[in-house]
Amino acid sequence: MIREALKSLKSGFQLLKSKPITYNFPPETPLAKEFRGRHIFDPTKCRSCGLCAKICPNKAIEMVEEGGTPSSSQVKVRHPQIDYAKCCFCGLCADICPTGALRMTNFPMLVAMDKSQLLFPPEKLAQPPELKMPEKPKIKNLTSWARSRSLWVINFFTGCCFIEAIPWVSSGFDMERFGLLVADSPRHADIFIIAGYVTWKTLKRIIRIYEQTPPPKFVVALGNCPATGGTYWDSYNTVKKIDDYIPVDIWIAGCPPRPEPIGLAVVEAMNAIQSGYTGKKEEVKTSEKLRVPATKEKLEENEFLLPFGPQHPASGNFQLKLKIDGENIVEAEPQVGYLHRGFEKLMEYRTWMQNVMLVERICVLDGGSYEVGYSVAVEKLAGLEPPERAQHLRVIQAELSRIQSHLLNLGLIGGATGFHTIQRITWGDREKILYLLERLTGGRIYHIYSIPGGVRRDLKEEFKKEAVKVLAYMRKRLKTYDELFIENPVFRKRTLDIGKLKAETALENDVTGPNLRASGIKFDVRKSTPYLAYDQLDFEIPTFKEGDAYHRTLVRRMEIEESLNIIEQALKKIPSGAFKVRFAPFATVPEGEAMSFIESARGELCFHMVSSGTNMPYRVKVRGPTFDTILVMLPKILKGAKIADVPVIYWSLDNCPADHDR
Amino acid sequence: MFEGIITSVSGLFEKLDKLSFNRSVKGNVNYVRASKENYLKIAAFLKENGFKRFLTVGVVDWLEKGSFEVYFIVHNMNNIYVKVSTEIPREKPEIPSLSDLWPNAAMHERESWELFGIKFSGNPMLKPLFLEDWNGPPPFKKDFNWREYVKQTFKLPQAGGDKQ
Repeated sequence: MIREALKSLKSGFQLLKSKPITYNFPPETPLAKEFRGRHIFDPTKCRSCGLCAKICPNKAIEMVEEGGTPSSSQVKVRHPQIDYAKCCFCGLCADICPTGALRMTNFPMLVAMDKSQLLFPPEKLAQPPELKMPEKPKIKNLTSWARSRSLWVINFFTGCCFIEAIPWVSSGFDMERFGLLVADSPRHADIFIIAGYVTWKTLKRIIRIYEQTPPPKFVVALGNCPATGGTYWDSYNTVKKIDDYIPVDIWIAGCPPRPEPIGLAVVEAMNAIQSGYTGKKEEVKTSEKLRVPATKEKLEENEFLLPFGPQHPASGNFQLKLKIDGENIVEAEPQVGYLHRGFEKLMEYRTWMQNVMLVERICVLDGGSYEVGYSVAVEKLAGLEPPERAQHLRVIQAELSRIQSHLLNLGLIGGATGFHTIQRITWGDREKILYLLERLTGGRIYHIYSIPGGVRRDLKEEFKKEAVKVLAYMRKRLKTYDELFIENPVFRKRTLDIGKLKAETALENDVTGPNLRASGIKFDVRKSTPYLAYDQLDFEIPTFKEGDAYHRTLVRRMEIEESLNIIEQALKKIPSGAFKVRFAPFATVPEGEAMSFIESARGELCFHMVSSGTNMPYRVKVRGPTFDTILVMLPKILKGAKIADVPVIYWSLDNCPADHDR
Repeated sequence: MFEGIITSVSGLFEKLDKLSFNRSVKGNVNYVRASKENYLKIAAFLKENGFKRFLTVGVVDWLEKGSFEVYFIVHNMNNIYVKVSTEIPREKPEIPSLSDLWPNAAMHERESWELFGIKFSGNPMLKPLFLEDWNGPPPFKKDFNWREYVKQTFKLPQAGGDKQ
């Protein structure tokens, strides 16, 4: 045991000697060419057809006459005006543009103190984007200077944009060099990041936490959902304008915004605070309806009610009501719905093509698999046969998505057991995978790549070279993870025999994916019902019998390696030829029903789709992998466990709150 | 590749031939349509015959027909998926719960109860899951138009944020 511990220490020291993986700020190297950022508009090519406004799923594009008045279709010359407080950067508008007048650049830095600056009229769209770093302001006094250099961010990530705030905690972007620190208590925090959409249930908690934060406090709103409802503008359960309730200081456009603009916003906030800015002085608008309801639980003597989440460093936007007796958990009840947007019905209002943009937002941690599942189901309905090349490209997309999801989970379980080193490293390495995804698909988190009929763009030869480099790098890093973390005796002690799950119980409660395989059942949809090109690829399914937190982590660690193998094979075997068959943006799909089953990073994902013969789905049912695992199985595992093991068990099951809430 | 398995499943269903139902097969998925009376019998039969994994309960709202299609999906270790569906009237929809057969069915039914307003008799868990203080109709019903609702309830932001 001592030898193992020494090995871990040695590996840690070696890590210190290796090249740092932190990026410079402001970014010196240009971002990937393929990234979908701000548009650029060429008025000379525009034919005023208005197709871009028609396809936009978020209604962010409006056709305007000269001078900015909205125009009807009778007017001859009209140009698009884009509201980046609504745009989700899906690029459907650039795809449909018949003349190439509207294109996308890779410029992501859209930050504004005033929301109306995010409205881009045609003249502003025509100017090429340029990064202007804010000028260094004068220091007002010592207090303002000191305050600007030690801003603490509250740890309450409301929606899917938190995924791009995570890199700022990793070694890739490293926010601590700016003096930013994640604070778990609102009473010590200065900055409140509203990361993404806010549901009515979350709004009550936001207001409560905002009120608990002492002034001066600053609010940063990430993405377009807090500004206008964004992608979920027609959802019955999301708040459309967060500034109706609490004052917002900085808006960042993007869906989700890249880490760079978040960094820019932080620099802007620091500068403003340094020159004496102390936040907006508006009052919070609350009413009795917006108060968090009091809990009415019947408790025995010696019992105590302890909420785990939704504002907890290890919970995500999810709550467990724990009834505890001393250190032991008597009963655990999951409280969900903080992220419920009603995807299944939102999809009934969008065309089959527009839904690709929506469907991957169901699970922010593993968007690639959801896209693939949706596209496979639509192809079954429409009777489309995607080309082999597309199937291989989808395999690469889905496996990259799986790797980044598992790396994220390794970091989270590391955080839950106190290994913050592994958290920083895995999340830093995750950036490399995200870079590959960006080169392949044009998006880091939300790819919008697998569309019904194939994929959106072809693979470039230079991607292959880059992928080979990253694969070799990841294989080397996996060994470091093993020495530093997986084989570390402290980690083993902390997770072995914790959160035991028997095979029979897991099957009965429909636990799937890595959690089921760690309990000894070799079930993987990629093997049992092969889809895409998985039947042509050779890979193993790592399975263990023990079914505890340690082996669930181990399965994920092994799966990363298998996924690397799959990508390598797919890159070699990829046939040449077409990468898609035509599926029109407003195409109708024949009447009928179809189901698709996909192995996502968290387990079996099932889409059931009903078409009534129109250009929109009649009904979509998504059966996510975490619904049963978290809502049904987790309370049963937690019964009798210790409080300190809750985060370990919870993250060893790998939850995605957005997936079970939908 | 599923030929062998499918014949064995049809053999399985032959045992049930007294009950009336429709069955169609696509790949390894069996679509079974049954009457409301036979719905529970088929469910019990599948549970006895090794369909251990219960995937989900789903509802399709057929507004024009005036009925709800309620279905569940199960899976066995021979890799067969079966979807069993039945239609119930839209007025006062009620159907027996499957929570006695599969332990995780109760939570899925709770979701369908909340979103479609279907009563699963025998389910002890029917209380709000996702929503807090929701007074409106069950939100996923077809006759509840979200775009209309959102327009009326929120003043939707104009282009350019606050500049109205």
